Amino acid sequence: MVCTGCALLCDDVEIGENGCRHACRIGDAHITSTNQIDPMVNQSPVDMDAAIKSAAEILVSAEKPVFVGFGNSVTEAQATGIELAEKVGAEIKTFHTDIFDDILDGRVKTCTLPEVRDYADVIIFLGCDPMNTHPRLLSRYAYYPRGEKRQHGWEEDRTAITIDLRFSHTASICKEAYTIDPNRQIEFMDALMDALSNKVPKTTYDKKRILKLAGTLKKAEFGVIFAGTGASAPPRDAIIRLMDRLNESSDFRLLPLAPGYNLRSIAEQLRQLHNRPGDDGDGGSDSSSGGSGMDLHEADCILCLGFDLMNSLPAHGINGKMIVIDPNETLTSRYADVVIPCAAGGIDCAGSAVRMDGETVEIPLIRESERLSDGAILKQLLEVV
Amino acid sequence: MKMEFDEFLAAPECGVVIVTYPDIFRTEAGLRHGKFSKEYQELSAVIVLDSGDMAKIEVTDGDLVEIKSEAGVVVVRVKESEKEHPGIGYMPEGAWAYILGASPVTPPASTLALSAKVGRSRQEIPAIEDVYRR
Repeated sequence: MVCTGCALLCDDVEIGENGCRHACRIGDAHITSTNQIDPMVNQSPVDMDAAIKSAAEILVSAEKPVFVGFGNSVTEAQATGIELAEKVGAEIKTFHTDIFDDILDGRVKTCTLPEVRDYADVIIFLGCDPMNTHPRLLSRYAYYPRGEKRQHGWEEDRTAITIDLRFSHTASICKEAYTIDPNRQIEFMDALMDALSNKVPKTTYDKKRILKLAGTLKKAEFGVIFAGTGASAPPRDAIIRLMDRLNESSDFRLLPLAPGYNLRSIAEQLRQLHNRPGDDGDGGSDSSSGGSGMDLHEADCILCLGFDLMNSLPAHGINGKMIVIDPNETLTSRYADVVIPCAAGGIDCAGSAVRMDGETVEIPLIRESERLSDGAILKQLLEVV
Repeated sequence: MKMEFDEFLAAPECGVVIVTYPDIFRTEAGLRHGKFSKEYQELSAVIVLDSGDMAKIEVTDGDLVEIKSEAGVVVVRVKESEKEHPGIGYMPEGAWAYILGASPVTPPASTLALSAKVGRSRQEIPAIEDVYRR
C-alpha cells in the first residue's frame, strides 16, 4: 500500500488486522483515522445532495471565488478542481508551491529521492525538520541508507547539516547544526554567500564555523538541499541565490519539503495550464502561492479542498462564504457554510499522485467506503454550476 | 468576589520573537483524536521559553502565560527549553500561534520574525474554536 500521510508516498506500508506496518506516526494516524465529518449546511446536518446543491448555489452566485488547498487530493481530483475553477472563474491558491515552480521552470537543479539515497554526500536541511514532517525521509533516502555510491551510509559517506531558526529534532541527529537568530536571518545567508565566494564574512556569527560550513558545501560531490516551507524557512529568493552560488563550485540539487502529499502535482498541472498555447496566464484560473493574487479576505467564496485554512490563518482574515470538501473534521469545517465529506486519497479513494521528487505513484485503495471521492464531488459540482 | 492583592499589580512581561515549528506528536494527535481534542490542544497551546526569560516573568514550567502581539492575544502553557535562546519563544504550528500573526500562508511568512510580549496569565487556555471565531 501507499501511504498518503506526506509527500514521500511510502510504498512499503502493509495494512493488517493489527494495524499498519512500516508506517511512521503520521502515516499510521492518517491511515487509521476515524475522525470523519457529516455533510452540513450552515452548521446543520443535511444529506449529501443538499450539501452539494448548496455549494453549487454559492459558487454560481460568487463574484470573486477562490479555491485553496489541492495538496491532499489525488491528481485526477485536482484536474477536475481546475476545470471547476475555470468554469466559475475562481482563482486557485496553492500554498507552498513556489519552489516546485522554480524546479519546474528549470531555475534550480533537482533530483529524485533514489538519487539522494544513491549519490548524496552532503545533505542540508534548510528551515525544515523532516523528523517532524516527513519522518521516514532520513531512513529511506536522505541519511541512513546505504546507496549505490554511498555504501558506508551516514557513518562515513554522508554529512547532514541543519540550518534553521530552532535546534530541531533533525538537528539533534545531524553532524552539524546552525541555529540562526530569527532577527538575523539575512545576515547569516549573506555571511554564507561571502564564505562561499572565498571572502571572510563580515558577521556577528561565528566566522570560523561559517567558513567551515562553506568548505564542506564546496567539497560536495552530490549535494542536496531539502528546503522547508514554513515560517522558519528562508525567503525563496535567498534559497535560489544560494543554489546558484553553490553550483558555481559544486553540484547541488534542491527538493522542497512541503505539506500535503500531492502538492507537486497541482504545481505541475497549473504550470501546464498557464503554458498551453493561447493562454496568457490571466484567465479565469490562476495559481499563486499565497504571496500574490487576490487576498483571501477579498474573496466572496472560498472553497477549501482538503485544506484546513482557518488553522493556518490569523483570525478574521476571511469574510466570504466557505465551502469545505475534506475527509476529516477541521477547524475550517466547524465554521464553514457548507461541508461536504469526501473519501481520503489513498485510503478509501484510489488515483495517482506525484511524489515530492516528481515520480508518479499509483495510489490504491486501502479500504472500501460509501464516501464519495473529492473528484466525484467536484464532478457533480461541475455538472450543475 | 474577593480580590487578592497581587491581582492589582501588572504581571511582569518579556519581549520575545515567536518562531513556529512542526511537531509530529501534535500532528498525530490531530489525526487520531481530532483538532478539537484535549490531546491536540495540550500539544498545540504551548510556548517553549528560555529559562532566563521565564525567570524574568516569574513563571515555571507548566504555568500559563499570555502572549500579546499586534495581531492578537492568546493564553498557552509555558515549557522550559533545554537550550538557551533568550528572547525567542518557540510555538508549535497551528491556531494558537497563528492568532498572533505567525501564519505560514499570509505573506511574508517566510521572513517573519514576529514580535510579542509574554507574561504570566490567570486566564485559561482557550479552546481552538474560541481562538478563532469567524
